[in-house]
Amino acid sequence: MPHKKPILSIFLILIAYCSFSQEESLYDSSTIPPELMTKANAVVRFNDVLIEIESNDRMKITEKRIVTVLNEQGNLATQAYSGYDRYNKIKKIGARIFNAEGEEIKKIKRRDFIDHSAVDGGTLYSDSRVVAMAYDPVSYPYTVEFICETETSNTAAIPTWRPLTSYYVSVQKDSYRLVDKASLGLRYKEKNLDELELKKSNTASSLQYLLQNAKPLAPESLSPSLYKMIPQVMVAVESFSFYGVEGKAKNWKEFGDWVYNALLSGRNEITEETKQEVLDMTSNIEDPVEKAKQIFEYVQNNTRYISVQVGIGGVQPIPALEVDELKYGDCKGLTNYTQSLLEVAGVESYYSIVEAGTDPIDLEDDFASLEQGNHIILAIPHEDDMLWLDCTSQIHPFNFIGDFTDNRNVLIVKPDSSEIVKTTIYPDSLNYQLTQADIKFDSYGGIIAHVTRKTEGLRYDNRFSIERQSDKDVINFYKKNWGYINDLMVDKYKFHNDKTHIEFTETLDVSAQNYTTQTGDRILFKPNALNQNTYVPNRYRNRKSPVDITRGYLDEDVFIFVIPKNYEIEAMPDNVEIKNKFGEYSFTVRQEEGKLIYKRKLLIKKGEYPKTDYEDYRSFRKKVSKNDNSKIVLKAIN
Amino acid sequence: MKKIYLLLSLVSVQFVFSQSPKFGKVDKAELLEKHYDKDSSANAVILYKNQETYFVSSSIGVELITEIHKRIKIYNKDGFDKATVSLNLYKSRNTKERVSRIKAYTFNLIDGKIEKTALDKDQIFKTEYSYNYNQVKFTLPNVKEGSVMDIRYKISSPFYFNIDEFRFQYDIPIKRLEAEIRTPKGYNFNAKQKGYLSFSPKHTLKQDNAIGMSVDVLNYTLNDVPALKEESFVDNIDNYRAGVVFELVSIERHGSSGRYFAKTWGDVAKTIGSTEDYKEELDKTRSFDDTLDAIIADKENDIEKMNAIFKHVKQNIKWNGLDGKYFQKGIRNAIKEKKGNAADVNLTLVAMLRYAGIDANPLIISTKDNLIPFFPTVDRLNYVIAYAYINSKRYFLDATDEFSDVNLLPLKDYNWQGILVDNNKLVWKKVGISTPKTGESQYMVTAKLDEEGIIEGNIKSRHTNHSAYEFRQNFKNRDLDAFITEKEEVLENIEISNYEAKNTDDYKGYVSESYDFYKESSADIIDGKIYIQPLLFLKINENPFRSETRAFPIDFGYPMKNRYMVNIAFPEGYVLESNPGPVAVKIPNGLGEFNFVSKVIGNKIQLSSSLELNEATMSADSYLFLKEFFNQMINKQKEQIVLAKAQP
Repeated sequence: MPHKKPILSIFLILIAYCSFSQEESLYDSSTIPPELMTKANAVVRFNDVLIEIESNDRMKITEKRIVTVLNEQGNLATQAYSGYDRYNKIKKIGARIFNAEGEEIKKIKRRDFIDHSAVDGGTLYSDSRVVAMAYDPVSYPYTVEFICETETSNTAAIPTWRPLTSYYVSVQKDSYRLVDKASLGLRYKEKNLDELELKKSNTASSLQYLLQNAKPLAPESLSPSLYKMIPQVMVAVESFSFYGVEGKAKNWKEFGDWVYNALLSGRNEITEETKQEVLDMTSNIEDPVEKAKQIFEYVQNNTRYISVQVGIGGVQPIPALEVDELKYGDCKGLTNYTQSLLEVAGVESYYSIVEAGTDPIDLEDDFASLEQGNHIILAIPHEDDMLWLDCTSQIHPFNFIGDFTDNRNVLIVKPDSSEIVKTTIYPDSLNYQLTQADIKFDSYGGIIAHVTRKTEGLRYDNRFSIERQSDKDVINFYKKNWGYINDLMVDKYKFHNDKTHIEFTETLDVSAQNYTTQTGDRILFKPNALNQNTYVPNRYRNRKSPVDITRGYLDEDVFIFVIPKNYEIEAMPDNVEIKNKFGEYSFTVRQEEGKLIYKRKLLIKKGEYPKTDYEDYRSFRKKVSKNDNSKIVLKAIN
Repeated sequence: MKKIYLLLSLVSVQFVFSQSPKFGKVDKAELLEKHYDKDSSANAVILYKNQETYFVSSSIGVELITEIHKRIKIYNKDGFDKATVSLNLYKSRNTKERVSRIKAYTFNLIDGKIEKTALDKDQIFKTEYSYNYNQVKFTLPNVKEGSVMDIRYKISSPFYFNIDEFRFQYDIPIKRLEAEIRTPKGYNFNAKQKGYLSFSPKHTLKQDNAIGMSVDVLNYTLNDVPALKEESFVDNIDNYRAGVVFELVSIERHGSSGRYFAKTWGDVAKTIGSTEDYKEELDKTRSFDDTLDAIIADKENDIEKMNAIFKHVKQNIKWNGLDGKYFQKGIRNAIKEKKGNAADVNLTLVAMLRYAGIDANPLIISTKDNLIPFFPTVDRLNYVIAYAYINSKRYFLDATDEFSDVNLLPLKDYNWQGILVDNNKLVWKKVGISTPKTGESQYMVTAKLDEEGIIEGNIKSRHTNHSAYEFRQNFKNRDLDAFITEKEEVLENIEISNYEAKNTDDYKGYVSESYDFYKESSADIIDGKIYIQPLLFLKINENPFRSETRAFPIDFGYPMKNRYMVNIAFPEGYVLESNPGPVAVKIPNGLGEFNFVSKVIGNKIQLSSSLELNEATMSADSYLFLKEFFNQMINKQKEQIVLAKAQP
């Protein structure tokens, strides 16, 4: 090992020398290569990060970041700020501002940076703070050179290399260097580096990446999330420390052991009183699932989500006893509390780490690190499967996690056998909506409809919360939901929330005065009165990213119209049936005993496709939109 | 009738007084309550709020004390956020507001018994929130559906000249509210009520032994205050929130003649005018001799000079986003640093206009985000613009905005009137600001329709005044591809090519746009007939006014007029079968008008349509008319022209 060091440092000096000779010109905005200017709001001229791990509880991070901001929208790309708290200390921070020609116009010292709490709206208290540069640009472009040196004892949180983090920002040069001087067992995982031109030089105890001339990314609809497309290198060390708590892990199993032993154990005690309450509540129940359901509902009815994050509390739950007393906690606290109650009732369950959000992001199967995951849920083993509970929700049904944590790899923590497991997948056809309506015409061209709409799966997740809304909001919801119907009136509505079968039913009477168009002795109307889908994805002249349809769904509709007396059908669209790899669409219209029966089906499948498929998908949606707009003509019988 | 009302309210006041709830003791009835019978949509309600504000003098000096007792009932889980209290405490370099005596309980009904849980002192968190504020936050323990919470605290403020607004209305209803303010004799405060609820204080005089002075006491009592909720097209919801604002008018002490603050708008103007910023600075001209001389040298008249100086200031002093009627940096530094607050920018403009010999003065205003001033006040005016008077014509200028122009101010400036400070002519008064000019948009569509229902064509449009201003704001720094994509989506997924927008970077003149479009299925072809909406994808599909009623004025920002001229050539061999009749829909009092005339001549559809909204702001009384106006317009725009194949 020792013989490697000198070679490495020579290399470092070389790099440093090269960058120094170039730096002067980096302050001048006229030296930006033209291809980095198009579609860019800012250009990262040079981002130079050096991470030195001195020991398992000492890490130094030195950053120099030169960014040319081209317009107002690019100001955020300067990223001239740093977080701090008791374990993350800022040693040095400062900035210099240069005008378009590269002349220095301002120096900003630490005392001129703004120091404020890093608390977001959803947190009651956190001890983390931020120091941020305050600079009001007077003209564009301008260039910021930001330097920052921090020291931390948290070697469990090594910064990931992510040279491209936002749209419309290009990178001229980005260098990431890391040295593990204490030989703590360096581990890393590269993602999306394949198509990049980069220089790389890694050893067992050091990493070095250099990216040059990366063009900016622009957002496109139906593309994978930015996070999934950008290049990144995640880094961890085997022996680490976090807020004074030491650990050792080279895979998820060992990482789970650390979580279990260092963060969770001994925090499951609850009061005798609550213990008794749990036993009383569950003693007459045989089925462990039924027991768990009772306890989950007890937690839902007796606690609420409040977030307080102090030090190690960012990853360690507050003791169950404290939740018992305060009746609130964050995701960690409420999950640990629920787990403790289940334990009393003899039901096994596992504390599970997940990256939550509507975009499903997996924990990396083969790379364990503390940087992954932002939320905690609870897993209950049942037969060969898992039931999942999100203990922070006071309203979701038992074993229904919805699109916040579905379909992704999570770490379930259990003594000596922690593992990565996939959460519930909601299949396309089970994200289901059935709309049925009996529709009559009034004598002025309006319609009166009695509607029943049932939602299941993720459709349930997006709908059931309306039952908690005020009358005014419910009515506005329907006016917006059927926004294409001008003058929609909601005369009556009723909801039924079946939490056991996870089915939400809306029953309502609606009317619309001017739904049809009357021209002479004809009545023109769209038979798809209550589920028109006009969504067509945006058109791109030059589609860049692949197509990602994250979740699928199935719609079925049956609308029965009573044909007014003295009218007959003059024209009616032909039945339609379309099937392709993206899904299915069909409708039929038939006449039966003075009635018109319109039946429709739309299935959209979840899937990932190459960018060349984008136009095909778009054309499918255009056909759906067009057919949903089909009309029927009724003619008066003379 | 009025008398009876008064009597009734007196009775209810009496009733309230005898019932003021004691902190820490709740009624079972309050815990049993399942919903608020006057507003079943309320997730929580303030059962009782008591506020007492008074002065004390201690070793630290005079302090303003505010004591609060709030009792909140939570009906359901969506009301849980009301269990968290967050207090922002102002601080200056030397001194700060403090909170003390925080005490809070949660009450629950468990098996018919009242259970009381106290807030633990460890669960009160204090943060240095920002440069100007400390924040104290806590949340109550043991909160469930049905809980009642009692919360009490005391705030001591050394900033006794500034009495915070008394807020009598929140996003949840209040059942009962009592507020009292005691001001020492000699400190004369103006108290002005705001909002759309009516209430009146009881005024008494009494001896305050704690400070050994007699005090003026105002007591407010309100019952059943409805919740105040956000709506669209509102300038600033806080203008309509029930409450009282206070302003110090004068301090009188025995023996001395006293200090007078603002009483009339003239006083306000004089007070501001007598500050150094307005008295000395504006006529100091040496700092811009050379540059300005070159700019105005070749200008023939005052109007040209004004335009040139306006442009010069816009280009050379950038607004740093801060409001202000007083200098942050001063003229010299603002010019040197090329940036400053609103006063730095616009007072420099005034000084430069004066240097050029133009009759120019500052006009102090309150912007839309800063409420309407409810009475003569110095403190509540937050902004200054420039006012010039040339050849008996008035000109209003605000150089802080990239796209503003002479007499075309940023929309936030059109909130109210302005206070003119003309120290030279000794004129200090309130003056009206000319209302925004009509923003016009014109659309010319030339298109060709085929037998499949595919339409292709070109659109040329032109936007003036604030319509151009808004276009420019929205267009600036945008990725053109993304801008076009968004436009395609808004215009019912047409496909746009050859897009061109002109004059988008300048602030003068109109913006023009031109583009070609293509759209499939833009007409229905049924049984050999063509059904087409002549306004195509430019029609309005959804009524922006959904609510059945409206309590506040509707704010559009500026009057507008849209004109559409559409020309569609359709395939040979078709003849007109039916045509939507012409229509003219009006809102009473000339507030708005919609016209629609479609014709078929030869094989061409010709549509001429216009929409006018003639006032920037319309009163709540016109809401239903406006809603119905949009409704009729949308229905008309949906009507179709039917073309049938001609019989051979």
